[in-house]
Parts: sequence; structure tokens; C-alpha cells
Amino acid sequence: MKIKVKAFASVREAFGFDEKELTVSDGITVKDVIRQITRSYQPAIDREMTLLFSINEEYCRDDAPLSDGDRLAIFPPVSGG
Amino acid sequence: MTRRSPTETGWPYSRPSAADKRNTMITIVLQQEAIDPGRIIRDTGSDADGALVSFIGRVRSSSRGNTVLSMEYETYDEMARKQLQKIAEEATSRWSLTDCTVVHRYGRVAIGEASIVIAASSPHRREAFQAVQFIIDTVKEKVPIWKKEFYSDGSSWIDGKK
Repeated sequence: MKIKVKAFASVREAFGFDEKELTVSDGITVKDVIRQITRSYQPAIDREMTLLFSINEEYCRDDAPLSDGDRLAIFPPVSGG
Repeated sequence: MTRRSPTETGWPYSRPSAADKRNTMITIVLQQEAIDPGRIIRDTGSDADGALVSFIGRVRSSSRGNTVLSMEYETYDEMARKQLQKIAEEATSRWSLTDCTVVHRYGRVAIGEASIVIAASSPHRREAFQAVQFIIDTVKEKVPIWKKEFYSDGSSWIDGKK
């Protein structure tokens, strides 16, 4: 199945992309996708870095499963306002 | 006071269904251009309201011992709008607001300029004060917007607290 991955702010810079379509196996979780990205793109991501996730613009946990066509976003804690 | 329609003001207004049913109005705007707080204050609320409370968040010239030259805001546009809408709807229903406007900048924002303006209108002041406090606190915690500070010798992302 295919999913769209979006990265923002410091995570976008570490990953080296802002949006990417990935082909992944059915039932994959957010955690697995992160592992896959880390392996493929060798991002300069700090292990201590706190990451937040959303699927289709709703916050989710890292064990949330993904479905075909989902939009997964990965980003650092927010700092707007 | 006459309320101007979105088409007259030309703003990219977004309307909630739930709040509209209760004859209240929510306005959420993400914009690159400078915010005019006076205009937001003029356009929020009605003559039935005894209180209009506004909050203006501005870009500071110093941060963590560094002199800040400017700030850049990055947004996850679709999700930020959804989250802002949810927060405004919750505030509107918890504190019986009649009108609520939240405007946030993105892109480069100069020192002293407003990065966010919130205006809440209600019949009585207590509700409007509490709603605005809730909105800014929740925006800082939940809305996917990030700031990057620019200094004379570099820049740095400001990651919020989890």
C-alpha cells in the first residue's frame, strides 16, 4: 500500500524532505515507518528528539496502524503562538 | 455595530457548523501578511456583547540570551486549521462566546509584529477572559506551528515542550 509522509520544521530538515510517498506493507505502524525512513535516508535525527505524529491531520501514537492512502505527518513539539 | 461579511473583508474565513447553529461565529485565519489587530477587534462581536477580550502575541527581540533579528513560522496548514477550529469551538461552547476570532501568521515575522491575535466576545467579561486564556494556552500546546529564530550568526528551531 502507499502512504504519504510529511515532515515539518526541525524534523523536515533532519529527514531532508517535506513530503514523500512511500510504499509500505499492510498494517505497518507509525513506529515502523519511522524506522524505515531512518534506514533509507540516514537522517541526522537526534535519538533524544521528541517526535509527534498525526494521521490524516489527527494526532496519533507511534503504535497506530496505517491504511492505504493515509497522510502521516512527523514533527517536533509545536511552538506556535 | 454592523458585522461585515467575509466577502466584504476579503478574509479567508472558515465557518463551523456546530457553532453556527447556536448563532455564534468562529473565524480562523492563517496568513502571511501582517495582522491588523484593530480590524479584528472591530470585526469581532456585536452590540449584544458587554465584553470583548483580545490577546496579541508579539515577536520578542531577545530569547534565551540571544538577540533575535526576526522569526519564521512554519505551519502544517490543513491540520493547524482543524486544530484551531476545534479549540475555538471548545472555547465557544465552554464559555458561551458569541464570536471568536483567531489569526496566526506564517512565514517571516519582524520583531514587534503580532504573530497571533485572538479576540473573544461574550455578554460578560469573565467568560471572554477565560476563553482567551484557554485558547492561547491550547494553541501553544496543540496547533502544529513551529518557529525558527534568526540571529546575526545563525538560526535555531524552537521546539515546544511535549
